[in-house]
Amino acid sequence: MKLSSMFKKPNQKKYISLTESQNAIERTVSPEVPEGLWKKCNECKSAIMTEDVKNGYYICPKCGHYFRMHAMNRIKMIADSDTFEEWDTGLTSGNPLNYRGYEEKVQALREKTGLDEAVVTGKAKIDGREVVLAACDGRFMMASMGKVVGEKITRAVERATTEKLPVVIFACSGGARMQEGIHSLMQMSKTSAALKRHHDAGQLYISVLTDPTTGGVTASFAMLGDIILAEPKALIGFAGPRVIEQTIGQQLPEGFQRAEFLLEHGFIDKIVERKDMRDTISQIIQLHEKGEIQDSVLQDPEHLNLQQEYNHNVTAWERVQLSRKQERPVGTDYISELFTDFMEFHGDRYYRDDKAIVGGIARFRGMPVTVIAQAKGKNTKENIERNYGMPSPDGYRKALRLMKQAEKFGRPIICFVDTPGAFCGIEAEERGQGEAIARNLYEMSGIKVPIVSIIIGEGGSGGALAMATSDEVWVLENSIYSILSPEGFASILWKDSSLAQEAAGVMKLTAQHLKKTGIVEQVFAEPEEFTVDTLKEVTAKMELYLAAFIEKYTKLSAQELVDNRYERFRKM
Amino acid sequence: MIKKVLIANRGEIAVRIIRACREMGIETVAVYSEADKEALHTQLADEAYCIGGAPSADSYLNMEQIISATIVSGADAIHPGFGFLSENHKFAELCEKCNIIFIGPSAEVIRKLGDKSQARNTMIEAKVPVIPGSNEPIFEAEEALKAAEKIGYPVIVKAALGGGGKGMRVAATEDELENAFQTAQKEAKAAFGDGTMYMEHFIQHPKHIEFQILADKYGNVVHLGERDCSIQKNHQKLIEESPCVAISEELREKMGEAAVKAAKAAQYENAGTIEFLLEETGEFYFMEMNTRIQVEHPVTEWVTGIDLIKEQIRIASGNELAYKQEDIHLTGHSIECRINAKTPGTITDMYLPGGKGVRIDSAIYSGYTVTPYYDSMLAKLIVFAKNREEAIMKMRSTLGEVIIEGIETNVDYQYEILNDADYFAGNYNIEFIAEKEEELLRHEAI
Repeated sequence: MKLSSMFKKPNQKKYISLTESQNAIERTVSPEVPEGLWKKCNECKSAIMTEDVKNGYYICPKCGHYFRMHAMNRIKMIADSDTFEEWDTGLTSGNPLNYRGYEEKVQALREKTGLDEAVVTGKAKIDGREVVLAACDGRFMMASMGKVVGEKITRAVERATTEKLPVVIFACSGGARMQEGIHSLMQMSKTSAALKRHHDAGQLYISVLTDPTTGGVTASFAMLGDIILAEPKALIGFAGPRVIEQTIGQQLPEGFQRAEFLLEHGFIDKIVERKDMRDTISQIIQLHEKGEIQDSVLQDPEHLNLQQEYNHNVTAWERVQLSRKQERPVGTDYISELFTDFMEFHGDRYYRDDKAIVGGIARFRGMPVTVIAQAKGKNTKENIERNYGMPSPDGYRKALRLMKQAEKFGRPIICFVDTPGAFCGIEAEERGQGEAIARNLYEMSGIKVPIVSIIIGEGGSGGALAMATSDEVWVLENSIYSILSPEGFASILWKDSSLAQEAAGVMKLTAQHLKKTGIVEQVFAEPEEFTVDTLKEVTAKMELYLAAFIEKYTKLSAQELVDNRYERFRKM
Repeated sequence: MIKKVLIANRGEIAVRIIRACREMGIETVAVYSEADKEALHTQLADEAYCIGGAPSADSYLNMEQIISATIVSGADAIHPGFGFLSENHKFAELCEKCNIIFIGPSAEVIRKLGDKSQARNTMIEAKVPVIPGSNEPIFEAEEALKAAEKIGYPVIVKAALGGGGKGMRVAATEDELENAFQTAQKEAKAAFGDGTMYMEHFIQHPKHIEFQILADKYGNVVHLGERDCSIQKNHQKLIEESPCVAISEELREKMGEAAVKAAKAAQYENAGTIEFLLEETGEFYFMEMNTRIQVEHPVTEWVTGIDLIKEQIRIASGNELAYKQEDIHLTGHSIECRINAKTPGTITDMYLPGGKGVRIDSAIYSGYTVTPYYDSMLAKLIVFAKNREEAIMKMRSTLGEVIIEGIETNVDYQYEILNDADYFAGNYNIEFIAEKEEELLRHEAI
């Protein structure tokens, strides 16, 4: 049955009100939506409550779209309340090109936005820690960088260097400011140079890229962070997408130049949602403070007299198989077992983020350390994603980048090695697998902080060595470390890869041989059934040795450290 | 005076409100989702506006669309019905900001009563009895023993982070408490990693009793007696009746006074309901206040003769209450059964009964399709007779006549409850369904 037009409805004009009463209030106002109560989301086109947007991190409550934020709101969201002290207000650039109407436009924007230029800089506290904070504001000529923006950023960085404070910059910009011509271009060098000095002084710079960060700002201060964070889906690039499309005459793929694209291409460390931004920045700052190991082990070296019960009734080939076993704990298991507050950072800053290597900063017994692990997967899906733990050149470059940062901030480095070997493929050769490995050996030999490498499974050749040119190398009882896989060895020398079992016997790749010949310093016994469930039996001992290692090696001067490492390999 | 009302709801309550408005000479505006184009409320109202897709979040919960429809249609008030936005203080506030009369209490009152601990404190201040409990967290068995003396046995120990009955223990005596506390705490630590405990008086076999109140702008408050809503399945009410057999005239007066006090303390305006738990001993405790019209309002309408929807509109128009407490009398007995769909589907054929003392509030018709998007309630059968026995007989007869073809409903299940001896004797509390579930299902299947 259809109900349309079935019902008799009274003629509205003849309605007689039954409810008139002396008390009833006559209304003098009629319903209307007050100005500014709601706005339209430019992404999903829904009407949304302005207040919900303000209280919800300036994100569309309907579709999750990130709105661009005013600089002052950004600062409010990040800094402890009432701690922001603004610096360098009132600077002007004049009109270097005498561009018609430029001064009037700047003046009008000042009045409209209440800002004096496209960036706000100053000092604030985040969870009680002082930082120099800068935030660009897109309302002001799309936060383009002219002389004033360049000058304010430079001054803020210089002051941060002098006062030994971390710098946090929220970038957002259309690029250099056209109206100031070549003078704008110079700001790119100026800001970069100031950041170089800040870097050389050993100070931290966190860059946060927001929508959109393009042109001369991307090609200067925005991309120079020790840590580069980005908001989800932010447009980040040098040339704008429209310019690229016109130039190459092709349509750009979905997601091109978005934060996720950059993460995949190794240019940013982490995508952080707005609601987590403050806590993430605060945690990064705290992880960059100098720290010491809690609960000294060396003062009570008794701890290190651990009984290690090795199982000697295992053949070399059986150990090879054990080292490759699917159930064996992988690098990420060790990270979660031995460290707290692990924060992963991504990318090599050249081409790609290699998932075969996981690295970042964590705390070990309270002390900030850099942790890098060659990461096999725990199942086939993860293994495909992580390329079975076979790093590409991008992975080694990421590892080196993280090691260099550890050196800058004085953090010990702990590497977990577990790879069948460096990835063997066309792309790997195109991007210089050999160069990447060589570079790591070369650079690691001179790194001025302690490095320990632990081979937790397979130590496959140069691919392992590129993360094991260290002060000490440790192995697990059933780990292997060799010039090549036994299969490869048999195939090269005996032209028959099926003789791998025999090869394993002659290669002297087991823990006992490695220890005997001084290739490694320490062997950890393994439980009979070695899985994530029994990992603690190994890490309990490993933790004590790690603590002792860090205590011992952090006492050495940089020169002693590098000399010892040199000697370690020199005598081999 | 309100001249045009937009009904921000669907189903039988929207129809109920449209009818009341029509009788009052007020124009009506329906809003509907894409799934409700053919719905009764859409067709019955003077005007109707589509406000979005079938999921509630896109339509009946879409505040911006509803406000826009109100302004476009020229309505001066919104009736929110129950469910959806009816107890959403943000929506009420939005109406206030847009000069739209929200037929219900103010945003501030909705917010305060929606906050459990704030509502509890308001009631404690107003000397309305609340369930005695430890206001402070308890960590040691010794503290628990001390607190229990004040609260009164039996007590229930609950984990602060509790849920799903974990970390919960009842103790009837001092001897039991120590053990109960430690077991509950151990369980809480294991399940939630936290041993923070609370304790409150444990109410044995309570009845769910609620009092209907009406309050005007001028501080006048009356109560319209109680409803016994103890027949519940998984906290969903199935059958409601008024008056409650277990309440004497004296107790009614006492509870009614408490309800009025509660409404006054909350500075309440419009129709509202105060929920109590009633112990076998006759002790009663405030649970919460519902700031909307209730599904079960017809039973009160029938025993008091007052049209609650019309009263809501009059109060929202600024009229003073036309009744004093002494004008309110409960006459006869009324019972409501909720008929729910068990599955979505299209009603191919139906017959709904009638006759003296039978009222059916519904929005279904032959050919109506029950979608999975909204509440499953199809109809409310309400009967009225001069006493409870006659009302039960009438309800049995009415349920026996209901025919709804094409989808499965709970009519037979309801029929079994009405034929239960304990129900007939008025011998029931909120545990009734849980205790009888098996038996009811067995009979229903036959």
